[in-house]
Amino acid sequence: MTLAKAKWYETKKFRVSFKAWIITFFLLAGSLLVLLPLWWMVSTSLKSPQEIAQYPPTFFPREFHFSNYLEAWQTAPFTRWAMNTLFIATMGMIGSVLVNSLVAYSFAKIRFKGKNILFIIILATMLIPGFVTLVPQYILFSKLGWVNTYLPLIVPAFFGSAFFIFLLRQFMMTIPNELMEAAILDGAGHLQIWWHIMLPLTKPALIAVAIFSFNGSWNDLLGPLLYLNDERMYTLQIGLQTFRGTVQTQWHYLMAMSVTVLLPVIALFFFFQRYFIEGANINSGTKG
Amino acid sequence: MKKIVKRSIVMLSALLLVTGCGDDEDTPRAAEGQVELDFWTFWGSETRRPIIEKMINDYNESQDEVFVKHTFLPWGDIWTKNLASIAAGNPADIIVNDINSVAQRADNNQVTDLSTYIDDEFMDQFYPNLRETVEVEDGTYAVPFNTDTRVLFYNKTAFEEAGLDPEQPPETWEELEEYAKQLDIKNGDRYEQIGFYPLWGSFGADAWMTNADDGRGFVEDGEVTVNTEKKVEAMEWVAQWRERYGGQTIDALTAEFGSEQANPFINGQVAMWVDVGTFYTQIRDYGDGMDFGVASIPAFDESSDNWSTGGGFVVEIPAGSDHPEEAMDFIEYITGEEAQKYWATENFDNVANIAGSEAALEELEGQEQEVFSFLNDNLAVTRTYPLTIEYPETVTKINPIVDRIMLGELEPGEGLDQAQKSIEQDKR
Amino acid sequence: MRVNQTGAAGKTIVNEMKSPEEKDHDLSVVKKGRKKMPRGKKENLIGYLFISPWLIGFLGLTLGPMLFSLYASFTNYNITSRMDFIGFSNYKRMFQFDDLFTVSLWNTIYYVAFTVPLTTVGAILIAVLLNQKIKGMSIFRTVFYLPAVLSGVGVYFLWMQMLSPSTGLVNTILAWFGIAGPAWLFDPEWTKPALILMKMWSVGGGMLLYLASLQGVSKQMYEAALLDGANVFHRFFYITLPMITPIIFFDIVTSTIGSFQVFQEAYVMSQSGDGGPANSLLFYNLHMWNNAFELFDMGYASAMAWVLFIIVLILTVFHLYLSKKWVYYEGGDGR
Repeated sequence: MTLAKAKWYETKKFRVSFKAWIITFFLLAGSLLVLLPLWWMVSTSLKSPQEIAQYPPTFFPREFHFSNYLEAWQTAPFTRWAMNTLFIATMGMIGSVLVNSLVAYSFAKIRFKGKNILFIIILATMLIPGFVTLVPQYILFSKLGWVNTYLPLIVPAFFGSAFFIFLLRQFMMTIPNELMEAAILDGAGHLQIWWHIMLPLTKPALIAVAIFSFNGSWNDLLGPLLYLNDERMYTLQIGLQTFRGTVQTQWHYLMAMSVTVLLPVIALFFFFQRYFIEGANINSGTKG
Repeated sequence: MKKIVKRSIVMLSALLLVTGCGDDEDTPRAAEGQVELDFWTFWGSETRRPIIEKMINDYNESQDEVFVKHTFLPWGDIWTKNLASIAAGNPADIIVNDINSVAQRADNNQVTDLSTYIDDEFMDQFYPNLRETVEVEDGTYAVPFNTDTRVLFYNKTAFEEAGLDPEQPPETWEELEEYAKQLDIKNGDRYEQIGFYPLWGSFGADAWMTNADDGRGFVEDGEVTVNTEKKVEAMEWVAQWRERYGGQTIDALTAEFGSEQANPFINGQVAMWVDVGTFYTQIRDYGDGMDFGVASIPAFDESSDNWSTGGGFVVEIPAGSDHPEEAMDFIEYITGEEAQKYWATENFDNVANIAGSEAALEELEGQEQEVFSFLNDNLAVTRTYPLTIEYPETVTKINPIVDRIMLGELEPGEGLDQAQKSIEQDKR
Repeated sequence: MRVNQTGAAGKTIVNEMKSPEEKDHDLSVVKKGRKKMPRGKKENLIGYLFISPWLIGFLGLTLGPMLFSLYASFTNYNITSRMDFIGFSNYKRMFQFDDLFTVSLWNTIYYVAFTVPLTTVGAILIAVLLNQKIKGMSIFRTVFYLPAVLSGVGVYFLWMQMLSPSTGLVNTILAWFGIAGPAWLFDPEWTKPALILMKMWSVGGGMLLYLASLQGVSKQMYEAALLDGANVFHRFFYITLPMITPIIFFDIVTSTIGSFQVFQEAYVMSQSGDGGPANSLLFYNLHMWNNAFELFDMGYASAMAWVLFIIVLILTVFHLYLSKKWVYYEGGDGR
């Protein structure tokens, strides 16, 4: 019995790594729950149609048909559709990040008349279900001559979205006003404060907006199919629908393409998430 | 911040590279001076698209005034878009739509009345029950394109194993029940083979009710006929199947079959199965030489007919189309004998044009011909039940009540009385 | 360091960690609840200038269709040919004759009541776990975000298989713990829990927000708390939680709005969108959709939309009012 020496499980090193193990355990268990359903997608995408039609379903494909991916891609002009989708999603993402943060800045940090009412109105625009404004919206875009162009899918992003404005406002409200005051004393205007102080400090939030926005337009089905009349202008989500036939669904192709369509968004997320570690740590950045 | 922007640009250009550079196999376009017609369908799959596009190409090459452009739109959403575009005044010129709701669309001015462009002789080409669905009062609002009929598929091998004559499929409900009992194979608590369950496949409780009631639908001549004696009896009969197999067994199996991937009839889990005619193509493609037979839906009793239900699609001209005359010319082409024969043989699908259907029958061979011939004959006992304008919500009102009857929460008679009342209340 | 028991704990801690001068300075912020900022006409102008993109978009693209649907709710609008003024008939019909309206509203409230708290708590917990320094964290984060990226019918079919009563994965796992799982999508009692479970699976979106907001929580605060011997739970409840309240507030408001409009899951998972079995999945928006696009009664659907608008608006304003009591904005309340 040694009292002077800390027991092995009391050492800091152990405590830290013990904590890490516990967390890793929970995360692994969680990942399993998340990934198991997804495995069904991947596994189906690698099976032959004959194997998919069998009962009971096999957990692992008996034969791996990687060619499903290539074949599915070649059933329709998917390359073109992928580029169209990428274009729409990227434009939307740029618009979302720039415009929403500007509007949100105003709501968070500038004092102007009628701000509260306008803020409620912003929230109110989210409350009306899209189905009932779908037709008048279509008529409006049609009158503007925007049908069969990408404008109805991109332009609205440059006018801001209630969801993102609200989100960024919340983030900006957590930023201390003292930071701005110094800049104002130095003669900076709001535009400079927004660009030089706010944008860097809300980097994680802006990245979240970028990911959401990209993800949203990437997965949008109703918008493109309503406004595009020319198959050459179609997007991947409409393309996915071609595998769902009236009599039979081509599950192997549908799943192969679903997995493929997933990848760019996953890559984008994987690439961006690192900024959640380096982080714009507001307080350490200013007072540390 | 700059770093992020920079990295984003790198990432984006990488993405662009991955997705590759453009492929521009040019799709044919309308030539100078031609009228371009927009034709919207939901036939975008690898099996259907080439067939409809071949028909369109043939038409485009047959004349040089009109160019028809095909656009695929996903099932369901196609009609949302149709409505929005009619409201905005720039609809497609021709669209494929559901046969059962033509009257609704006519009532709401969504479609062009075609009667100025066509005559009785033209409409005589189509099966009379399909023709009825598109003729509303004095107008003709669509042209039937294809149709279907539900039949009983049965596993001949299973019949032999159960000591049943594979050439003698059940003809009445009573026989169906007897056969099913003989075909059931139970291993302890688990069924290895289920003889038959009426709600699997594509014949719902509503279809069994109309089958029992001499083919009478839920609204006949403006009268709601939901709680008729025979329909109540039919509902009791359907509910009793669930009791016999046990709710848990049925729920579990329904869920398994709901994935739409593996079909239990083809996999030998269910010995008798009601489905539409095109189900044959699945047996052909995935059945591995399965020995099966096709029969009419069993009749309620010896004195009734083998009533089946049908549906299908029509081609129509949305209201506000700029070129109805040209569009009609194209519709005449794709609903004509030649095009319909092509569609029927390539898709193994029942078509609306009688001559086209018969021509297809002659062209098919072997087993395909046998089945197709049977399906053609079955059209005589097949009824379509178009939605009526006065009572558009019949099915929506009946379905939840059927669910509750199946769960034992409602007596069939009581339930159908409720449905009758609630449908009558909502008369438009 | 004292650990305060009230919701304002965050404020206390922040103040205690600052230097004396700063502290004084800051207390004045707390007292006045706002920071002195130059104001006046110029400030007004700049404010409007900054929100002008949204304002133009709102006036040009959003407001028109909204007012159109408001007017439509007083008519028998059928999308393609009819639009006659009929007064409050649609609203009367909703409350007096349409049984399904009540059913659908009840189903929706049930769904909202469970989804909102469960997904909020779930997303926070996962985000906190994913904010640790662990090997392979970027992989874990991506994995947990994955379900949020998935969309479309494929996912719903996947879940229909997962929830299969006898062979589905969910009931198989429940069986390991000796629990006999329900029939999920076939038992009207369990259809909504099934959809809630499915929603829980894809909390990745909310997780992303919390992960972003956790980057704003100061390390010094944790370090100071650690020195004072605060344990994991104290640190979570008195530092982390107060600091992310603005985002919790955002998440609750927006997911309430979103859950009230639940549609696609129910549309796909109840056969052909009829809301079955026994109308247990007939959500508000599904009923509205059927009226609008199956029965072409867009007037009635619009009236339904505006009733929902009022309900959710009241809830949102209530949230806004309550938020003053528990949401902590480090930058003052911004006004």
